[in-house]
Amino acid sequence: MINTRSLRFRLATWYAVLLAATLLLLVTSIYLGLKRYLDWNLQRTLAAQCRAIGTELIPELPTKGSQWLASETVESYDPEVNGYFIRISGVNGQILYVSGSPKDYSFDPSFVPRPPIPAGNDSLRNVKMPDGHRLIIEEMVFTNPDGNRFLVESGVSYQRVDEVLHGLLVTFATLLPIIILLALAAGFWLMRQSLRPVDEITRRARGITSTNLSDRLPLFDTGDEIERLSTSLNEMIARLDTSFSHIARFTADASHELRTPLTILQLELEGIVQHHLLPPGLVEHIESALEETHRLSRIVENLLIISRLDFNAVSIDKSPLDLGDLVASTAEPMQLLAEEKSLLLRCEIASNVYVEGDPSHLKQLILNLIDNAIKYTPSGGQVTIEVAGGDRYAILEVADTGVGISSEALPHVFERFYRADKARSRNSGGAGLGLAIVRAICGAHNGEIRVLSSEGLGSRFHVELPLIAQNK
Amino acid sequence: MRILLIEDEPKVSRAVARGLMAEHFAVDVADEGQDGVELAEIYNYDLVILDLMLPNLDGTAVLRQIRRKNSGVPILILTARDTVTDKVRNFEAGADDYLTKPFAFAELSVRIKALMRRGTANQSSIVRVDDLELDRLTQRVRRTGKRIDLTLKEYSLLEYFMSNAGRVLSRAMIIEHVWDQRFDGLNNVVDVFVKRLRNKVDDEHDHKLIHTVRGVGYTIRDEAP
Repeated sequence: MINTRSLRFRLATWYAVLLAATLLLLVTSIYLGLKRYLDWNLQRTLAAQCRAIGTELIPELPTKGSQWLASETVESYDPEVNGYFIRISGVNGQILYVSGSPKDYSFDPSFVPRPPIPAGNDSLRNVKMPDGHRLIIEEMVFTNPDGNRFLVESGVSYQRVDEVLHGLLVTFATLLPIIILLALAAGFWLMRQSLRPVDEITRRARGITSTNLSDRLPLFDTGDEIERLSTSLNEMIARLDTSFSHIARFTADASHELRTPLTILQLELEGIVQHHLLPPGLVEHIESALEETHRLSRIVENLLIISRLDFNAVSIDKSPLDLGDLVASTAEPMQLLAEEKSLLLRCEIASNVYVEGDPSHLKQLILNLIDNAIKYTPSGGQVTIEVAGGDRYAILEVADTGVGISSEALPHVFERFYRADKARSRNSGGAGLGLAIVRAICGAHNGEIRVLSSEGLGSRFHVELPLIAQNK
Repeated sequence: MRILLIEDEPKVSRAVARGLMAEHFAVDVADEGQDGVELAEIYNYDLVILDLMLPNLDGTAVLRQIRRKNSGVPILILTARDTVTDKVRNFEAGADDYLTKPFAFAELSVRIKALMRRGTANQSSIVRVDDLELDRLTQRVRRTGKRIDLTLKEYSLLEYFMSNAGRVLSRAMIIEHVWDQRFDGLNNVVDVFVKRLRNKVDDEHDHKLIHTVRGVGYTIRDEAP
């Protein structure tokens, strides 16, 4: 199917429309010009005939008689054979000569009405015959030296001109659509030829993502706009490449630069705590500082995990794994937390649900979701973990009967450092990064995450990961 | 016992060296890769602690050079690089253990002990801390002669505590030992787990053995700190 919005189609169509308009204009002017020329030519022939009869034959009439006039006219002009109408008459109505029917019988001269005597010397008139034929008749008045006036009429069927013009129209009417169609096809083909590099550039550009920014678009050494386009696109990709590698470098540097001072802080504080001679009050301060150091370390680690996943700085190590097994083994230690809060932690796990992923990242994802569910579900509640194989996706659901998420907070839960309930989350030690990590991990695995929640009733996190065909 | 510490960040090396010396190790510090390689050639160290980001000679290159000369010495990598690729590369180059910064000194210390103990399995079957007794052969635990019933994981944790009696174990170490994985999301699981073990071991006794070291972790010892 042709895409009617493509540049190729639109340009070819415009060409065709313009061409059709031009041709139409040309045809119209040819038609009108030809008609004018034929009319003029016809009139000239007729006038010449009249004038010849009037100047060469009429003056001889008194001496040679009307018989001679008739035979001379037939001899000179042979009107029946040539399809002409010739009538010579006196102004008083007496007919001296009238031609017979032409051999094609296109008109009957005897039916041609007599004209009134024209005021001037000559005039042209159209006569419509009873059978519908049109005659064009030139008439001239001549005066003999003896004072007698004669009317000479010379006419011809207009059919000839009509036939020529009609033929022209038919020719144009058949040729014009063909020409336009050919032009359309040729235009389409030409556009396709010249836009083919654009298709190639589009195809290659589509394949370039953050992971293969070192790739470049093909260059067409044509010196035209398309070469300029691919050159500038390549320059843009090069700039993106540079900034991406800067970000990747930044992440690697940041991890080193942040971890080293944290290491020192932690080691120094631990050194002080081990010291036995400290006043008890001071020990408490140091221990508190140590706890905060740990928290800071965790935040730094989590931020690094997110930025790495986001920028693909680390191509994650994917291998086929049984999602059900992974969920079961991850949920097992969490059972302890659930029991402690008198929650029921249930697993409904389908077997043989295989996904391709990094086990430690996926474990983190599962853990964060379960941890979250347990954290926000009050005693006596229930947390359900479900793994199912869908059509093309493996589905992991973690549902709880907890406090739920308000509709204002719901769109933001996956944002970094977002806390739905500031006081509560701070007490439970999180930094608001757990779900951001979950989303980043999902994204790195080409998966999706959604959350449904109603306040006071509970939340349901729904994760979809691409399923892989299991061959065992 | 002599340890070579190759670390370019002076504050880190000072803190680590101080901790190790407090545990009666002799420590040599090299703040640059080439020095480290040379020291390792001259002295017969019992262990090498190696940072990866070093000026001049990169840590992995240092690791390869030391391995070429002295194949037996245990080498522990200490680094801020924690990607899987980094780890695999260094294990392939001959590292024995890998610890990511930031770390608790207690964890470093336990890992060092484990590396040095490697091969010399002179563990006695019965371990005692005060009146608590654990038999590794029968996996039985008694306190003041009275049997304590533990789950498999609780036993594993207690055995870990008692093998490292007097030493502080961080939550990360406990997770790694008991569940065989490294995760910080499980910290609160460790707390619940230790609490349960305490209920079984310490509840009926005035003299508590399992202690919390705030900001660091847990320890088992027979005297109040």
